[in-house]
Amino acid sequence: MASRLGNWLDERTGWRGNWTAVFLRKIPRVNWAYTLGSATLFTLIIQVVTGILLTLYYVPEPQQAYASVTYITNEVPFGWMIRGLHHWGASAMVLLAVLHMVRVIIYGAYKYPREVTWITGVFLLLLTFAFGFTGYLLPWDQRAYWATVVGTRIAEVVPVIGGSIKDVLLGGPEISGLTLSRFFGAHVWVLPSVLFLLVGIHLYLVIRNGISTPPKRDE
Amino acid sequence: MEEDRDPPEALEDSSAPLGPFDVTEPSRRAFLIRSIAAIGGAITVAIGVPSVVFVTGLARATTGEETWIRLGLVSSIEPGAPPTLMKATVVRRNGYLMEEQGVSVFVTTENGSEFTVLSNICTHLGCRVRWVDEQDGFFCPCHNGVFSRNGDVVSGPPPRPLDRFESKVEEGQLFFKEA
Repeated sequence: MASRLGNWLDERTGWRGNWTAVFLRKIPRVNWAYTLGSATLFTLIIQVVTGILLTLYYVPEPQQAYASVTYITNEVPFGWMIRGLHHWGASAMVLLAVLHMVRVIIYGAYKYPREVTWITGVFLLLLTFAFGFTGYLLPWDQRAYWATVVGTRIAEVVPVIGGSIKDVLLGGPEISGLTLSRFFGAHVWVLPSVLFLLVGIHLYLVIRNGISTPPKRDE
Repeated sequence: MEEDRDPPEALEDSSAPLGPFDVTEPSRRAFLIRSIAAIGGAITVAIGVPSVVFVTGLARATTGEETWIRLGLVSSIEPGAPPTLMKATVVRRNGYLMEEQGVSVFVTTENGSEFTVLSNICTHLGCRVRWVDEQDGFFCPCHNGVFSRNGDVVSGPPPRPLDRFESKVEEGQLFFKEA
């Protein structure tokens, strides 16, 4: 039955060829360090699922943000778990992405023909940091507030345009409800749009070019 | 080395011997496919079930405790007069918010001592009804539902009469309780 449905779909969509190319592709003999990219992707999926769920209760507005987060944590059933997964998943994703990058550096996997994969990966890491920075403000507690004050002051030290960068980040001369709005908008709309595009290119290139073999002794 | 300089041709070598669901052979591959499916399924359930409860849990919980809501002086309601729309404000707890909500009911009395408190919410699809003197009835503007003075359906789509609330008079003030 499942195989007949599979055939019916395959005749109309050609999904088997894609399935084979993606999941049953030949790979060289590698080690566990090669799973770090997939692990990062896994944490990304966790972040997307839990993040979407959190928006059902979270309100990005100064009077309500902290109260809604407290409500999620203490009163919504499994709210502590969904928020906890998103909180710890964020750190895990940064950690795994960095380890993934270290593996690519050590094995020289950024070399021809995988330079474009590397470049998209660098931007993906920067995007991950941007997710972390914008998401950190959203609980709207003291730690979030002062972390954003400090973070945007760091942006301010850029020569000449630093002040403008800070003002654009904050949505004004100082941190306010407008900052919360734009950090939320960036966190759930702007950054994901760019991230998904880059993840798509990154994964396409991983599959198209195949993964690199670990370097040999004589290389 | 020369062979490593060539662009990879992974896609051309995709004619794998086994199909995606061919797990009948008790091979290393079949074992791994089953393991991935089992672990993936376990993770999906571990996150999926709490997710469903997270979304649906509070929606099914009842919010307010029933209390008497004060409408105002009974002396303002004349016996036999057209239904009087009386308004009250109640504070309800919605999640982490205490929200003020306006409630409106229609009050009638025939003898000045027994009062009928009718909901102003149409039983069809929840629009607010208003009293129309010329029709001697409540009229719902959404789908032309008409109710009589005592709340019974006269015409249109409403499936049942207007809701009737319990009421009491204390020290000249009229109270009602939302059912």
